[in-house]
Amino acid sequence: MEPETPPPGNAEPISEAEALRRLRQNEDQSLQYYGAWWLGRMRSRHPDTVPLLCQALRQRQPRDAGAGVEHNAVARNAARALGKLADQRAIGDLLEALEDDDDGLREAAARALGDLGAESAVLPLCRRLASGPSVAGAPQTNSPKLQEPCEALIEALGDIGVATPAVLAVIEPFLDHDRPLIRSAATRAMLQLTGAPQWGDRLVTLLSHPQLQVRRAALMDLGAVGWRPALGAISATLAENSLKLIALRGLVEQGQGEPTTEAVLLAMDELL
Amino acid sequence: MSLPEGPSSPPQPDLPALVAAVDGAHSAESLVQATRALAAALAVDLVPPPNGPTALTPEMATAIRTLVGVMGFNNPGAAVAAVDGLMACGPAAVEPLLEGLDNHNYGARAWAVRALAGIGDGRGLDLLEEALQGDIGPSVRRAAARGLGQLRLETLAPEARAPVWDRCLGALERGSKDDEWVVRYAVVVGLESLGHSPHGPRPAPATLLACLERLAQPAQEAIPVVRLRAQLALDRLGPP
Repeated sequence: MEPETPPPGNAEPISEAEALRRLRQNEDQSLQYYGAWWLGRMRSRHPDTVPLLCQALRQRQPRDAGAGVEHNAVARNAARALGKLADQRAIGDLLEALEDDDDGLREAAARALGDLGAESAVLPLCRRLASGPSVAGAPQTNSPKLQEPCEALIEALGDIGVATPAVLAVIEPFLDHDRPLIRSAATRAMLQLTGAPQWGDRLVTLLSHPQLQVRRAALMDLGAVGWRPALGAISATLAENSLKLIALRGLVEQGQGEPTTEAVLLAMDELL
Repeated sequence: MSLPEGPSSPPQPDLPALVAAVDGAHSAESLVQATRALAAALAVDLVPPPNGPTALTPEMATAIRTLVGVMGFNNPGAAVAAVDGLMACGPAAVEPLLEGLDNHNYGARAWAVRALAGIGDGRGLDLLEEALQGDIGPSVRRAAARGLGQLRLETLAPEARAPVWDRCLGALERGSKDDEWVVRYAVVVGLESLGHSPHGPRPAPATLLACLERLAQPAQEAIPVVRLRAQLALDRLGPP
């Protein structure tokens, strides 16, 4: 789960019509980038929104250093926005983006397909991961990135929720990946797909990992699953209250059973 | 560090030495430790005697100003310890906090709002109001909203209580339209504690309940956790 950050240096309030205008024009990428972000953030329901975002998703651009944005920036942001809008019409274009050479775009597309619960993405996601930690999960040369955006691919499989033995068999080897963030993503997906408490307990142990980044990821993962037995451990984690509040919101909204909703709400009050 | 001891009185912490340890801390971790030690020592010193408020010695005033200064060092662990220490100091920390506010240091301001929210002194009202309405950081607005619900009205002159209560309600009503769910959540919590305030109007006025009812309605509030918390607040405030 990614924290939501607005694009840099361009934060004045705009209208929906202005956001659509910015996305529609083709001269200035950074305006398109902001327009795409805005439409997702504000959950735009305008009839032009999804078709325009799909069109933007098909755009391919070299990195424009002057604009301070990433490679295929507009396409990536369009994918993220489409994930938020929950419109099934986007699935075809997102599946195509999942086959792109740009791993950053594949990552954004995978997350969006997970958000949309797109069952048609299960096979292509599994195909990307099937070579396991030693190939798909191996580091790229001269980059801290892995060959595939494994974290996003695995999380998408968990979010989509197709729990066949074949899917579990693809995820399982990543439970022992060298990187704790990949282990966390795989554990979260196993918890979502099987509901077995052992995976919840494993995520809870990551809340006391020495690296802050790992503790943060485990917070987001427990929140995404809504694993209520983690309530006490989440409150006690050494991390920002803002992130703990997001995790506890997940326990309220995604979780069920004990502790009760009221107990989780009162724990949230303590973190304000 | 020397601790003067006497047979009849408990050991007194040496505040100047603890202040010097904070000022001289040479690593992030040693700053956290030194800040914790100073905060803990101050809390011991500030326990008010049964017959009246503690007189602030110059050493204590310096120690409080030192904790206020730590909030500007961009060291979250130390800042948390400083906020805890200042909250334990209570009203004695309010003037130094307001005087030490650095409008150009965003992080320090955020910590100061948290400390003032926790202390609940009426002198913090202007800052909390302003922070909820205009601060760019959601975590600052969140802390301000919580603080606006828990001002300790009993510390104010009786005739000042109703107008302050009304200002808190007005600020929270405006805050209920914040763009961030977590700020609206904190507004709900603030409204509930304002409704329970022993020196506020009883039962809670219809305007306060109407604001909570809006935040409990799916048509008005998109985020489920905010609605659930608003409903809990309404249940706990009882029928109008």
